[in-house]
Amino acid sequence: MCRRWLFLVLIVPLHASAADIVVSAAASLSNSFSEIGKRYEAKHPGDNIVANFAASDVLLKQIEQGAPVDVFASADEQTMDRAAQSNNIEKSTRKDFASNALVLIVGVNAKSPAKLDDLADSDYAHIAIGNPDSVPAGRYAKEALTAAKLWDKIQPQIVPAQNVRQALDYVARGEAQAGFVYATDAETQKEKVRVAMTVPTSTPVRYPIAVTTTSQHADAAKAFVAFVNSADGQAVLKKYGFSAP
Amino acid sequence: MSSDAIVPLLLTLKVASLATVLASIVGIALGKWLGRHRTFTRNVAESLLTLPLVLPPTVLGYYLLVVLGRNGFIGEWLMRWFGVSLIFTWQGAVIAASIAAFPLILRAARASFSDVDAQLENAARSLGASETEVFFRATLPLAWRGILAGALLAFARAMGEFGATLMVAGSLPGRTQTLSLAIYDAVMAGDDARAESMVIISLIAAVVLLIFAAQLLQRRKHT
Amino acid sequence: MRIAVDIEKKLRDASREFHLCMRFESDADVTVLYGESGAGKSLTVLAIAGLIRPDKGRITVDDRALFDSAHRIDVRARHRNIGLVFQDYALFPHLTVLQNIAFAQNRGWFNRRTVDADARATMASMQLDALADAYPSDLSGGQRQRVALARALASRPRLLLLDEPFSALDSALRDRLRDELIDTRRRAGIPMIVITHNADDVAAFGGKLVRVRDGRVAD
Repeated sequence: MCRRWLFLVLIVPLHASAADIVVSAAASLSNSFSEIGKRYEAKHPGDNIVANFAASDVLLKQIEQGAPVDVFASADEQTMDRAAQSNNIEKSTRKDFASNALVLIVGVNAKSPAKLDDLADSDYAHIAIGNPDSVPAGRYAKEALTAAKLWDKIQPQIVPAQNVRQALDYVARGEAQAGFVYATDAETQKEKVRVAMTVPTSTPVRYPIAVTTTSQHADAAKAFVAFVNSADGQAVLKKYGFSAP
Repeated sequence: MSSDAIVPLLLTLKVASLATVLASIVGIALGKWLGRHRTFTRNVAESLLTLPLVLPPTVLGYYLLVVLGRNGFIGEWLMRWFGVSLIFTWQGAVIAASIAAFPLILRAARASFSDVDAQLENAARSLGASETEVFFRATLPLAWRGILAGALLAFARAMGEFGATLMVAGSLPGRTQTLSLAIYDAVMAGDDARAESMVIISLIAAVVLLIFAAQLLQRRKHT
Repeated sequence: MRIAVDIEKKLRDASREFHLCMRFESDADVTVLYGESGAGKSLTVLAIAGLIRPDKGRITVDDRALFDSAHRIDVRARHRNIGLVFQDYALFPHLTVLQNIAFAQNRGWFNRRTVDADARATMASMQLDALADAYPSDLSGGQRQRVALARALASRPRLLLLDEPFSALDSALRDRLRDELIDTRRRAGIPMIVITHNADDVAAFGGKLVRVRDGRVAD
């Protein structure tokens, strides 16, 4: 029994000297950032990327409340602006690293709307979008629907989701007949959902990334941000359907 | 208390009350059926029925979503025969909450029925009472306090239901956004003031219910 | 009335096994089952009442089979028309004395507060009027015994079974209530089977004596 404790005591310090870099990234970056994290770890042995995916607003909330996050990647400028205003990010490290498109999806076997106005049809009993109060994708969708003068009309059909992936899941499962997600999200479930149309948004869908002011591993964090913007990182993002920033 | 908090509060009271009634009917019936004899099969049955109490709510919610959803065993049947879906509805929230809360009533019912002196039930039988009469005139009047205490706890549990409700009914303001979900959404949206007022309401409700339940259980011991 | 009992039942618990093998007949007005505690007297009486089921055998009352394992007959307790006074009286604690006594008459799912004349008459004949609205927890041991007896009688049984009806009472009360019981029984004209481990009871009751030891009739 004593020997086992000794063994652990020897192991722990070795592990602690490696950096645990906590990356809070928007839900839509789940697949791409998981892969980027692995590639980064391969190039920087000893560094461990801990990914935390959720809606951007939720992530910011965690950072504001003191969560030990090193890197923050958001799905819109608005959230990153708030992070900057509350001094949670190092402004000098902020950089746009990708852009995305907002799309309207329907289930594979569902009727495709020819234009946004078709959503008012009773066939679309439930339309999933991220909750605009806490999800950037929801805000983009609300913006587009408001511009098309549909937001108030289709309110009764709106099902707010906790993040863009949940909105995707609702449509994939058939519980929602249509939904607003990013083009990259639709790709991940292409056997179950179909893109009916790309939805133009007046605010471009751009992803910024930055190092937090509270990071305990600022150098490693900066290295990670640089990796995301490097050719390697960008290639992975492109693979998953993201466009250049 | 802001007017914003009233809608989720009323919805929560509606969902929790109906869920408790539903859970009570099933819980009392099954509590009676499980009976006072602790056989192996009956104990296994009780453990299985108590599962919702120990399963992580999201697991419970996931399985409910799978079963009640359009492609699910029950959901498909409902769609085909009645053209309705329980997902994203307050009725779905009631189902989720009642399943989560029902084990509390089941255990309380079984224990309360067992506590009733078997001799009294026998006396009723010897006086000509049918099994139903024995249940309603002898057993239930002596067991009701313990069952009610269980029902109050179930109500508190139903009021606080979050994980399973979120998966099955979603968080639709005015329709399925109960207090717990409203608090969560408010926090996520950064509206701390709204979150705080609703948290206080939830706390007060929970404390009141617990005090009632404790009083009932105390009096039961004296009869 | 003639009662014939011929039953067997094996009971097993953690420490031992008990084998009940009772066989007796009686056409006396009073039959006394006499023996030490644990001899099997209560079991026999519960079996006659239909509240426990023997493994095999027959129980007949006036040639009507209440239980017959060979012919798969087992009349339910509620149809046997047998009144039972339990050892600790088993009065319903949530009902008044009047409601207890009227229990058999008041059918239905709810315990009614009003009762009919029959129940009141039984109550009056045993001088329990004053206690009508009292609850069992308010009564003394002797009062409870009489209420239990009144309750059993109010169900108009054709046979009365009493399990150690005086064991919880002191000896003076015991003698008085025993005399009362003998008197009440005679007035009601109902045969009874009494369980006791008290020799004085045996002498006072008379009738047919059935000694019970270790689950069987001992001679």
